[in-house]
Amino acid sequence: MGLPNSRSADESGRLDRRRRAILAGLAGTASVASAGCVQQVRSIANRESSEQVSLEVKTVPADTDPRAVKIARVVTNRLSAVGVDAQVTLMDEQELLRDVLINNDFDVYVARHPAYDDPDFLRSLLHSQFVAESGWQNPFGFTDLDVDESLEAQRRTSGSERFERLAELQRTVARQQPFAVVAFPDDLWAVRTDRYSGWERFGLGRPLGYLALEADGDSPERLETVVTDGRVTANLNPIASAFRNRGTFTGLLYDPLGRNRGDGVEPWLAADWTWRDESDGGPTATVRLRDDARWHDGRRVTAADVAFTYEFLADTSLGREDSSVPAPRFRGRISLVERVRRVDEQTVEFDFVASDPAVAVRAFTVPVLPEREWRDKSSSTGVAGIEVGDRTTEALVWDNPTPTGSGPLRFQEKTVGERVVFSRFEDHFLHDGDADAAGLGADFAELDVRVVPSADAALNFLEAGRADAASSAIEPRLVPTVARRDGLDLVAETSRSFYHLGFNVQRPPLGNPRFRRNVARLLDKEAIVADVFDGYAVPAVNPLAVTEWSSPDLAWGDEDPVVPFFGDDGELDAEQAREAFRDAGYQYDDGDLVNR
Amino acid sequence: MVAVVFGLLGVALPVLVGRERLARLPQAAPERVRGVTPHLGGLGALLVLNSVIRDFGPQFSWVVGWNVTGTIHAIEGSFVAQFQSALVGPALTAYFSMVYVYGYVFLLVFPLLAYFALDDGGPLRRTIVAYGVNYGLGVVSYLLFIAYGPRNLMPELVDSLLFTTYPKYQLLTSEVNSNTNVFPSLHTSLSVTVALLAAQTRDTYRGWFYVSTLVAGSVVAATMYLGIHWGTDVVAGTALAVLSVWVADRYVSDAE
Repeated sequence: MGLPNSRSADESGRLDRRRRAILAGLAGTASVASAGCVQQVRSIANRESSEQVSLEVKTVPADTDPRAVKIARVVTNRLSAVGVDAQVTLMDEQELLRDVLINNDFDVYVARHPAYDDPDFLRSLLHSQFVAESGWQNPFGFTDLDVDESLEAQRRTSGSERFERLAELQRTVARQQPFAVVAFPDDLWAVRTDRYSGWERFGLGRPLGYLALEADGDSPERLETVVTDGRVTANLNPIASAFRNRGTFTGLLYDPLGRNRGDGVEPWLAADWTWRDESDGGPTATVRLRDDARWHDGRRVTAADVAFTYEFLADTSLGREDSSVPAPRFRGRISLVERVRRVDEQTVEFDFVASDPAVAVRAFTVPVLPEREWRDKSSSTGVAGIEVGDRTTEALVWDNPTPTGSGPLRFQEKTVGERVVFSRFEDHFLHDGDADAAGLGADFAELDVRVVPSADAALNFLEAGRADAASSAIEPRLVPTVARRDGLDLVAETSRSFYHLGFNVQRPPLGNPRFRRNVARLLDKEAIVADVFDGYAVPAVNPLAVTEWSSPDLAWGDEDPVVPFFGDDGELDAEQAREAFRDAGYQYDDGDLVNR
Repeated sequence: MVAVVFGLLGVALPVLVGRERLARLPQAAPERVRGVTPHLGGLGALLVLNSVIRDFGPQFSWVVGWNVTGTIHAIEGSFVAQFQSALVGPALTAYFSMVYVYGYVFLLVFPLLAYFALDDGGPLRRTIVAYGVNYGLGVVSYLLFIAYGPRNLMPELVDSLLFTTYPKYQLLTSEVNSNTNVFPSLHTSLSVTVALLAAQTRDTYRGWFYVSTLVAGSVVAATMYLGIHWGTDVVAGTALAVLSVWVADRYVSDAE
């Protein structure tokens, strides 16, 4: 630390950018003629000679997620122990997502993946086709032809054949470690049960969780929750990826054609759909909309809106840009759709790419947007924080101050940084005794979401009876507090939103799978689960670990089956680790791990 | 909050300033107010600007600012963690929390009233100018530097004592300040400023000199004990205090 010759990773990030600028200059697009440039050129020359490997680990501050910081600190401490100049950089959540998902400006990050519905999410996460795209589309810059092939094969198959394809894929991904899975945490929520029950049916991370609540006694009018993440008060755009985790609240405002209520995707905004298997290419589906579906402003939801939504999410520039600007949040799902046709006022026909209907049906879970409001959001825009030259559209960054959707709740009011209030949309099919609504009636007139600065403050709110639940998951350290306090209950659910280390494989030395594997082996995931998660998590190497698709040979035994820890019981054997880096072709100079 | 500070002032003013001076105050007040009107106006404008910038600053900082958390950590390592674990105990946590929240406000308000009771307008003007320099330079630093406190970087070593023990204060402080604004520590700079000014007037207000030194020292220790600030923030805050008093001395004496 603080060695005179150590350059911070932050500087090396800037240096990369400078180097790009200089290459552009050499190509004749700019003239290079300032005194500072001599310094820059010298720095670049230095990079070529042997120099300590320096890595910056980006994550969010403890106020946002103490677990991510703790993991990041373990990573940097261990990296330092094996001779890497490593440093944690804290960033606001939306700044971090912007750097990682949009600007690709990172070495290593620690974050939670926003969870997934189907293993097909791995296709947009890892397929080389998505390498240049923003959002959770291959943020690592990972390219591997075998992985590409498995990703395409699993999409076209079903049943045991798909399982085999997925198993093969899981093995390759675990061996390559484009990202290192750390653990699947349990989502823990603190709730009060004196006014509402049914919290445990879907948890508080999904829109259904709120719809499934039942008011006890004399029908309370207002459901009140608190969140520790204020982004929902600043932006209610369902396709703005830097502001959404799982899209819990925007999922209440915007209905998809279908939702998964536990047994696969079933019709929701759609009345029904039928599949036809075309022998050439992929399947076709005919979707019929509910005839009573309305937008919050009272207009009908039409087939044209649906057709527009799929066209728009595939290219939010609607053809204005040379190449398309897809909505990153739904990229994987939208990429299954080849063509959408409006048949009549209430019917839409979908042509899919070569895929099995069981996979293709994922495409029905994206939010349907009103064409009237979103069509003119297709213009391109330059926004602070997005590098010049990056293409984006107004739709992707718009804060959507007064959202109009067709969901069971409508927007009422908000104060940025403080609260947002939703009210029941009485024209929604859930609210007029529809049989499909089975227990999803949204038993409240209003949902009031308040921002509090920390989970401790959230619990005080709950105990004082000023809120019915904390919508943000709490840390395990607070479990005993919840148990002790009057009227508070705990809701727990194993989450598919896994913590992981993401590697930027386009920055040396992270392009080397041996180096990445060695970094992964610096982590004792069991010790992390014990220390950081207080046991409320499952250690894993496989991103499909807690699902029914998990490959048995990657199951967690006594230790990590693929990247076992260098050491025992949380104690790093630094010499063993250094030896592994030497075996991978790296050298040590005076204790520092150096680039050749 | 308001009640606690008024209570402290109610006790401290008669004891430290003296009833005699307070009794003469109503007579002399109008003229003294006129004497500091331009200074107060300037400070007021700075405070308004300050609150506006604090609303929009954090977003602006992410575009132009320099994220120095890692640099600060590289400089001082786990000093705050050691400081905290060496001292930690329920009684001290309660003491430092109270000092950080109430003692600090008392410390800032008291000299304005006490110096207002003096015939010599210099100390009051110097105080106002020094506060202005603190806020002005502080807000510029917050724009230029993004820094998270030790409790945000090292949650496994540093307890966020104030906010886990008294979560309601986080509601209070987060309304005033974003968690990226820790460098320098304005709690430190303003407290030290008050103590330095009290040292200049120790012949008039000897009691206040002792009290302010004690409270200011406690606030400075509290910023680190509570895991909110780095040692580096405190050093920078102290430097800012010295600078602000120097500016105030020059400005006020030049003006007279």
